[in-house]
Parts: sequence; structure tokens; C-alpha cells
Amino acid sequence: VKRHPQVLLLVLTGVGLLHASLFSDLYLRYVKEGLRPLLIAAGILLLVLGLLGAVLDGKGDDHPGDDHGPDHGHGHGHDHGPDHGHGHDHSTAPRVAWLLFLPALSLLLYAPPALGAYTASRANDKAVKEQKRFESLPAASPVPMTLTDFTARVQQDRERGIKGRTVRMTGFVTPVGQGGGWYLTRIIFTCCAADSQSVKVRMYGTPALPADTWVAVTGTWHPQGVLGTRSAEAALDVRHTQPIAQPVNAYTDDLPLTPS
Amino acid sequence: VFSKLLPKHPALAVPVASAAGVVLPGCECASVPVANSLIGRGVTPAAAFAFLLSAPAINPIVLTATAVAFPGSPEMVAARLLASLATAAVMGWLWLWLGRADWLRPAVRHTGHQPGHGRWTEFRLGFQHDFLHAGGFLVLGAMAAATFNVAVPRSVLDTFSGSPWLSVLFLAGLAVILAVCSEADAFVAASLTGFSPVARLAFMVVGPMVDLKLIALQAGTFGRAFALRFSSATTVVAVVCSVLIGGGLL
Repeated sequence: VKRHPQVLLLVLTGVGLLHASLFSDLYLRYVKEGLRPLLIAAGILLLVLGLLGAVLDGKGDDHPGDDHGPDHGHGHGHDHGPDHGHGHDHSTAPRVAWLLFLPALSLLLYAPPALGAYTASRANDKAVKEQKRFESLPAASPVPMTLTDFTARVQQDRERGIKGRTVRMTGFVTPVGQGGGWYLTRIIFTCCAADSQSVKVRMYGTPALPADTWVAVTGTWHPQGVLGTRSAEAALDVRHTQPIAQPVNAYTDDLPLTPS
Repeated sequence: VFSKLLPKHPALAVPVASAAGVVLPGCECASVPVANSLIGRGVTPAAAFAFLLSAPAINPIVLTATAVAFPGSPEMVAARLLASLATAAVMGWLWLWLGRADWLRPAVRHTGHQPGHGRWTEFRLGFQHDFLHAGGFLVLGAMAAATFNVAVPRSVLDTFSGSPWLSVLFLAGLAVILAVCSEADAFVAASLTGFSPVARLAFMVVGPMVDLKLIALQAGTFGRAFALRFSSATTVVAVVCSVLIGGGLL
């Protein structure tokens, strides 16, 4: 990779990073929220270095190895001559660097969408933590709940606090096979999209909406298995569904905002 | 500084360097260039490699994440710490015993000061080179991992979970292919509920030390001859260490 593409790569990657982190919320599709400052800093650094490179190297003073004149003998104990044949000098980067154009351009032109139903239908189900004690549910009806909390209460709460209660949860639709069944789903990640895991709750009583539709669902536990034990299915008899807008940060298991 | 802290004798420097990995809270991609620059400053390669392997596996962030991912089983954290330390030290000693300097290719990367270039120009050009170099290989490794993720259905996983021996080998291989960041792999391991604890330990010990993106990075930094030998040896040592230590603790 020669000089000019190198500078272009630095600038493009920097601009791409800034575009995704500083000027939009695109980065939330790929990494967790806390990494934003790092992304912005990296973007600025790359952009500045790229621009510096464009200005300084453009002056035409850059003939690595040619300036072996006697007045430059710093005596660093390096002989620059032989290295040039291998092209391992700073002035060239290996051909593999061309690959960096792919992520840089895709961030700018076509940012891949957030993970959705396709991933959820094949990803690992997140292991729901063992929990000994459960706080009693608030008196509100419907009770706003996360998918994780619902699953834990259905399968682990000996007190069966969930019994008979109407709950409200939000997530996106993941169809089950061809039968018309569906899961309410959230994809959660710890660090970045590579370690995504899904939480799914089976929905009964309403036909599936198109995959990846975000919905708010109210309903009661679908009796199957013994409530409060592992045999209970994390499932809901749906009373009401309502399409909602996709949350800005989709990779969390949030409570539904304002229960309406 | 690092080379002053290390004992003079290489065989002693190796375990000290592995333990020093505790203090660097980074993930595995960062440790490759760090190890390379350590070698460049005269640290014995064996110690630098021990550090390269242990730093991403046993730093406080990773251990905390492991404790969170496996609540109520602190022995998993202890097993991860011990097995990773053991692997790093064994690999360092192996390098002292069998390693050959001509597998390495770190010196050609930096041509040092160009006469007539200032310190800042050197910094800028060095940065540019390192970024483009490592970045390119990172893209390559990521493409391989992503292809695997999409192309192989998860149901394949379940066929291996039955046998204890196969499951250890399979999860070790999965760690190589999935290339999950070491700070998050404990959560992935925790979700592989069908597998035995020893197999999940192997996943967490192998993952930060060997995976597709790391192999690509190492090949770019140290040369292909080194990356292939080093990665395959590390995989074997890591699996053996996890089986021995996991078998004892878990």
C-alpha cells in the first residue's frame, strides 16, 4: 500500500468512527454505550494523523533512504539500505491494510443493521441467573418487567408472586419455525455484538407480527409446567400487543417506559 | 522499566512476567503489539510471550467478569487464574527450551530513526504503520470468525456436549473460532450450559490466548512461521492445563 492510500485510509477510518460515534448513535449497534468516548478519541486521533500525513508528506521531502547524506549521520546504528528491498519500511504498509477500507467505507455508506431475529433464532440463550429471593411485585397493573426478570420469576420464585398478575414487556418479534408461533426477544451484549446472547419469552394467543417488529406486550403467565420451578415455561398468554418504535439502544433488557 | 523489574535469569523471568500480566487491564488484541515492543526493548522473548498470553487472561477486569458470569462458583475464577498462569509460564519455558530466534520477525518492522526525521515524524509514521498493519489483520480475523458464526448452526454445538472429552476439545476449538474478546468470553462460557465446567474452563483459558484474529495479528507482527507454531503449541498446553487444574478444582 503506497503513501496516498494510507493517508486516505486513516482519514476515512477516522471520519467513519466519528460519524458512528459523535454524530449519530450508530455505534450502539456494535458496542456498548460506555465505549463512546474511546471511539470518539480514536476517530479524532486517526483523522488528525491522516490530515497531518497529507500535509507533511505532500511536501515532497519524503524519499526514505535517499537522504543518507553525510550530514544526516545520526549514528543510530541502523543501516537503512538493505531494508528497502523488503518494503518493510514505514513508508509502505502491507497489502493486508487494504482490507481496512471495508469497515471504513461500510461505516460511512452502509452501516450494518443491529442484530435481530435472525441472530436471536440461532444465538445462545442467555443463562438466567440463580436468584434466591424475589422482591414482591409492585402493585401497578400491568407490572412493567424485563424479559430476564420475568423468566427468573416464572422459573425460580417459590412464592409464585407472578401468578395471576398482568405484566407488560417490550422486545422484538422472533418467529418460531413455520407454525406461526413467536418469541418476544431481546438481544443483550456485555461488550460488543460478538458476544450477543438472547432472552426469549414464548408468546401465545396472537399471531406473529413480521420478524424484527418491536412490540409492547401485556398478558399473564401461560400455564405450562409447575410455576416456580425449572419445568415452567417462560411464556405469556397475550392480551394486547402494540407496535412501538425501536429503542435507541436496543441491546439492553430495559423496562418498558410509561405503561399506558 | 519492565526489563529492570524482571529477574536476570530467563527461566525465572518467565513466571514473573506471567504474573505481571495481572496488572495490564487490556484485551488480547492490545497485548500483541505490547509484547512486540517489549522484545524490541530487549526483554527476553520467552518472558514477553508469557506476558502476551497471561495479560489478557488474568487481569482484574476479566476475573471480575468471570466472577459475575459464574455467580456462586468462585472456584471457576480461581481455576481460570491458575490455568492461565500455568499455560503462560509453560509456554515461556517451552520457548526457552525449543524456541528459535529465526522464527521471529519483529526487527524488520521498525527501521528505527530515519535520518532527518524528527521524533514526532517517527511517532506519526510508526503509528500509521502499526495501525494499518494490525487493523488489516484484525479485519481478516473478524471476517473468518463472522463467517463461521453465520455458516455453522448452533445445533452442531449440542451434538458435542454429551462426551466429556470431546466437549473439552470442541469448546477449545470453538474459542479459537469465535474470537470473543477476553473481557466478555466468561458470559458466553456461562451460556454454554450444556457443557461440563472443565470444558467451559478450557473455553476461557484458550480464548484469550489463541483465536483467529490473534493468529492473524501474530502472523502480521511476528511472522507466519512463529504464529502457526506458537498458536498450536499454546492450544495444546492450554487444554492440558485446563483439564489438569479444572479436574482438580471443579
